[in-house]
Amino acid sequence: MNLVQQILDGLSSGSVYATLALALVLVHQSTGIVNFAQGQMAVISTYVAWTLYDAGVPVWAAIVAAIAGSLVAGALAERLLIRRFEKGEPLAAIVVTVGLLISINGVVSLIWGTVLKQFPSAFPRGGVGSGNGGTIGFGTLGTIAVLLVVVLALGWLFRHTRLGLAFRAVAANPESSALLGLPVGRLLMLGWGLAAAVGALAGCLVAPKLYLAPEMMDSVLTYALAAAVLGGLNSAIGTVLAAWFIGVVENLAGTYISFVGGDMKIAVPLVLMILILLFKPEGVFGHKEVRRV
Amino acid sequence: MSTLELHGVHAGYGKAQVLHDVSLRVGDGSITTLLGANGAGKTTTLRAVSGLVRFTGQILLDGRQVPAAPDAVARLGVAHVPQGRGTIGRLSVDDNLHAGALLRRDRAQVRADLRRLRELFPVLAERARSQAAGLSGGEQQMLAIARALMGRPSLLLLDEPSLGLAPLVTKEVFVLLPRLRDEWALTVLVVEQNADLALRVADHAVVLESGRVALAGTAAEIAGHDEIRRAYLGN
Amino acid sequence: MSLMIDLVKPDGGAARRPYGRMLTGAALVIVLAVFPLVMSPFANLQVTLTLVYAVAILGLDILVGWTGQVSLGQSAFFGIGAYGVAVCADRGWPVWAGLLFGVVLAGVVGCLVAVPAARLRGYALGMITLTLPVVAVPLAKRLEVVTGGAQGLNVTIAEAPEWTGLAADQWHYYVVAAGAALVFALAAALRRSHFGRAFDAVRVDEALATAQGVHVTRYKVLAFTLSAVYGGFAGVLYVVAVQFISPETLILTLSISLLAGLAIGGLRSLLGCVLGAAFYVVVPNVTGEVSAGQSYLLYGVCLLAVMLLMPRGVAPALDRVVRNVAGRRGRAVAPGD
Repeated sequence: MNLVQQILDGLSSGSVYATLALALVLVHQSTGIVNFAQGQMAVISTYVAWTLYDAGVPVWAAIVAAIAGSLVAGALAERLLIRRFEKGEPLAAIVVTVGLLISINGVVSLIWGTVLKQFPSAFPRGGVGSGNGGTIGFGTLGTIAVLLVVVLALGWLFRHTRLGLAFRAVAANPESSALLGLPVGRLLMLGWGLAAAVGALAGCLVAPKLYLAPEMMDSVLTYALAAAVLGGLNSAIGTVLAAWFIGVVENLAGTYISFVGGDMKIAVPLVLMILILLFKPEGVFGHKEVRRV
Repeated sequence: MSTLELHGVHAGYGKAQVLHDVSLRVGDGSITTLLGANGAGKTTTLRAVSGLVRFTGQILLDGRQVPAAPDAVARLGVAHVPQGRGTIGRLSVDDNLHAGALLRRDRAQVRADLRRLRELFPVLAERARSQAAGLSGGEQQMLAIARALMGRPSLLLLDEPSLGLAPLVTKEVFVLLPRLRDEWALTVLVVEQNADLALRVADHAVVLESGRVALAGTAAEIAGHDEIRRAYLGN
Repeated sequence: MSLMIDLVKPDGGAARRPYGRMLTGAALVIVLAVFPLVMSPFANLQVTLTLVYAVAILGLDILVGWTGQVSLGQSAFFGIGAYGVAVCADRGWPVWAGLLFGVVLAGVVGCLVAVPAARLRGYALGMITLTLPVVAVPLAKRLEVVTGGAQGLNVTIAEAPEWTGLAADQWHYYVVAAGAALVFALAAALRRSHFGRAFDAVRVDEALATAQGVHVTRYKVLAFTLSAVYGGFAGVLYVVAVQFISPETLILTLSISLLAGLAIGGLRSLLGCVLGAAFYVVVPNVTGEVSAGQSYLLYGVCLLAVMLLMPRGVAPALDRVVRNVAGRRGRAVAPGD
């Protein structure tokens, strides 16, 4: 393994973290909640994709179908469960997402059992040479490419469409937005739906790297949370860069610093992140609210 | 233009009743000002109209009961500029204005309206890309009104536009109201503490006292009664 | 009784009958004292563990409920306290030295984390605290010479003295109950002192608190440190209860479960801390008995159900019921007077 490969692998893992982190940011933007169930929601979506694939559906189609289903399920979760907690004590909302996490984990174990499953990669096998005889897998490059497409698509949606403007308005000030006639409730549902869809994509990206299991996203969620906070919980670009930073630093530290090794590598980006947060408490890319008194 | 009627409206927050049997009429194309001391129920009246507060009784817009959800009320052509202006600080001035027109499909007309409003309020063109939170109080009030107009409402509810503004700026806002009413075909209901100023531009006035209508009449009548001024308007 | 102060408010109906309140308290003490003598070792362990986690949740409440901060790090402080006492016992040091070592170490680490972290708010602070268990677990496995690595440490501490004639589970029950009662009483006193009011001020409005002369950063650090000390003490009690500690005990999941317990019990309520801990300890056993395969699912559903029915937690809901009953009784009595 050479350095280029190591960095690209880091970027690839970082891209998975970034995808889930974007889902967290979407939810936080729309409803002000950090959704601890985001990873577990992605897991059940991935199991749905696996089931379709197992039944003979081509893997790409299975993933697309799972993403579409997640959009609906995420929206329903907001409407039926989360909405009651959006205006109350923030802790209650967080704990409800924890309850959701546990319940979905239970449902997954109940339906699919706890035996590991092999999830196919949507990308072709093989890769391109990276010099020094190393190869960079198509899976690695594909993961990074998918993330870039997601970021660009979300950026376009939010910056250049009426729907995106409506969404940003509701996120920033629900009451004002309602007075402008925006259907606040439906937009919040959409926020959760989009987040679930993006999360499902993250699940389908990570599953081929590991095995499909109920706990598959647990560590990814930790990284994604870190990336989302480091990105300021409101900036897509910041979140992606933070996630890449985490992915690359973790990978390099795990490989080149012998003390760190595989079990402690998660600590390195987190500790670096703390140092950064101490100097930039609002996150690296989060914008400070301009206030006038 | 629209006609707004309230018949026997009761409203409040939780157990605290704020409005008791409020009835009033805001005529088509008129400017009506709602006066009264702090806590008289002026803001609650507006919030009841736009669906932000639950009420019993009848609130009719052009003879039909208004819906209970704020977004549904807004879609009927009611624009509510709340106290504190309700501009979305995190969004740019332009985004705020466009957010006001999100429900409209007539894009060419939206662009034309935007042009008109930028001519009326040049500062909105100058600072189009800055965050709304960075504007001064007066500028934010103008943004809030312009944003409301972007939705082409027939009824404009204004809640204490003078709050926190310098007297000169307040005057500027009030002097503008008749012109906006004529050019944008509005009916206006404006809540105000500064009775003098409001009575100067309004056609009608309603005085609230402890959640009840104490007086209603033309602005000239209300302004002319020294006794009324002393009793209800505190000057 | 310290447990009762939040349930029976001084302005509630019960306070007007001080004898009734004392009787309730005395009855509770007697029930808790007799319990281990007549119940099975398993039941004793359940109550003991409930008290252990109640202390950890109380620590979290000082930070989250009183001062309005977020923490995902409580399991790490729990672990520091537990390893502190276990490692000392492993070296043959007396248990009080281990207790002191574990609790002080937790407090020092808490303070070290808090000094810089107090500058942060909300999720940024949550993030930093998230790092603690994420680092602590592999660290505990790494320091094998001291911690016993992934295997954990088996220790024998706080053995029942011969003269008591008590079995281990009974003695551990009493030790933990006494420890918990002590720190609960301390927290209750703290809550009523000017410290409690200062914490409230910091939570409600930092700017206003500063204007009132409350040193916000200092109180945040103090809350965080206290929270860590309580977490560490809970860890010590845990080792007393189960005589074992392993890295698996301090994983992030425990932090999250403690937060969930806090929300379920209700913020700013001593009784709530106990109820939240009871939920965490007892409900999985019950759901496990209902259906071993779906125990986790049922636990999640129970958690959601409680939050949906009582979004502010069980203790505030109980409080309302008690006050309604007391109020009705008060009204019924009044005409006769």
